[in-house]
Amino acid sequence: MLGDLKELWNYRDLVKSLVVRDLTVRYKNSVLGFFWSLANPLVQVATITIIFKYVLAIGIPNYSAYVLCAFLPWMFFQLSLSDAGESVLRQYDLLRKVYFPREALTIASVIANLIHLALALGVFFIYLLALGVAVEPGWLLLPVCVLFNFFLVLGLAFFVSALSVFYEDMRYLVNVATNLFFYCCPIIYVSEQILFSSKIPAGLRERIWEVYHWNPMATFIEGYRQLLLPRFTGAGITDVPLDWRHIALAGVVSFVLMVAGYAFFNSRKWRFAERS
Amino acid sequence: MDQSPAIRLVDLKKRFRLQHHPVTTLKAAAANFWKRRWEDLWALNGVTLDVGRGQTLAVIGRNGSGKSTLLGLLGRVYLPTSGLVEVNGRVAALLELGAGFHPDLTGEQNVLLNGVILGMREREVRGHLDPIIRYAELEHFRDAPLRSYSAGMIMRLGFSVAVFTDPEILLIDEVLAVGDEPFQRKCLRQIRRFQDSGRTIVFVSHDIDTVREVAGRVVWIHEGSVRADGATDQVVGDYLEFAAQQAAAEAQA
Repeated sequence: MLGDLKELWNYRDLVKSLVVRDLTVRYKNSVLGFFWSLANPLVQVATITIIFKYVLAIGIPNYSAYVLCAFLPWMFFQLSLSDAGESVLRQYDLLRKVYFPREALTIASVIANLIHLALALGVFFIYLLALGVAVEPGWLLLPVCVLFNFFLVLGLAFFVSALSVFYEDMRYLVNVATNLFFYCCPIIYVSEQILFSSKIPAGLRERIWEVYHWNPMATFIEGYRQLLLPRFTGAGITDVPLDWRHIALAGVVSFVLMVAGYAFFNSRKWRFAERS
Repeated sequence: MDQSPAIRLVDLKKRFRLQHHPVTTLKAAAANFWKRRWEDLWALNGVTLDVGRGQTLAVIGRNGSGKSTLLGLLGRVYLPTSGLVEVNGRVAALLELGAGFHPDLTGEQNVLLNGVILGMREREVRGHLDPIIRYAELEHFRDAPLRSYSAGMIMRLGFSVAVFTDPEILLIDEVLAVGDEPFQRKCLRQIRRFQDSGRTIVFVSHDIDTVREVAGRVVWIHEGSVRADGATDQVVGDYLEFAAQQAAAEAQA
């Protein structure tokens, strides 16, 4: 693995160039390109907000901000994994002809999505200012959350892109899995609802709450919300402060996943060009 | 000066696993978990070869004889199944021009990307940007997206980038067969220039005329092994005789 890393370092300009290519192609009509990539989360958030505010009447002020704040990292997660499946396959002709570290393709596609997340978070700040929501000083810790989140997504992307080379139906599996996973993350609900649910027996709530946080993505989304937004009130829920044990656990799990994903990718990458 | 050969191959073997019913889905992989069948295909079966610095080696042989596999192993597209591949010096593969280009990017952006894919640092490519585009004779199309290029223009651009990677060892796979007459002549001129400056060239070709014109040494690969290795006229002569015999035998049968 160290040899692979060293080789990757020699090709660091390739990763950079591939990121530039991805972003150039995506934002070809600069402003418009960026707008369209934001359109999907904005429409979804608007829909969810209307339903929750007026139909279900959940009664949390600025609910849309809470949803959008979770939706942006979710988009990073989802788009990175669907792009990862394509990242190696799209360059298949090339990798049968020329040597270069194959992982550069996957890493670059995840980094391009990471930059997109950063841009989207920038727009989110403006949105918060427009709503008049006080921005919390916690955003200074945001980079830690983003970095851990990047580890997680990169690790999964390694698995997805390596398997996609050999199995055509990988993308359907990823699609189904991410759709299911959407509900395992606190996006259209807040995780505290588990802790304050009247439907779950009192003794079980804490245990489910802990198990729920074995999912690093759930912890990160909670982290983004807690760091960026003021504590919410209402709907019979009291805000629970961010538990740093959860963040630490999610960080360790993500890092291990990244290393395992890289090892898995490396064990397969020499067979990419030999696929029958 | 380093006296080691540019390329050293020792008992090089490459096996491909040929699946009779290729498993290309997870579903099929799960269903056929216990009954996966494949056939071993030895594309190269023990090749031992030294290529000295500054030599121009042509590899000939029938389709499926293992020529392209050999080039792929030299270019590190494949790992050998067993044996040794030693390549001393910076390698550039002049394989299928235009691979890795993106239609939405401009000529200049594609040059930057392609140069880095071929192993250059970004700084180097930027430094060579003008000469690369001039050599490809595409100054007027520099900022046009690649989708507006003709096939010939894309080929010229790809060739130009590969030339400017300044390889010590150049691998060429049948590229010379494509392109129009002026382009082919330009390629040949460039190959002469590489030869004059002491670069090592390994190329695969079916075009016997080009082989005769360019190569100083020819290796004939037959069914994954070296059938003959020596001076161009000798090996090419034997190969043509063999090919004629085969054709006659097939005509009889």
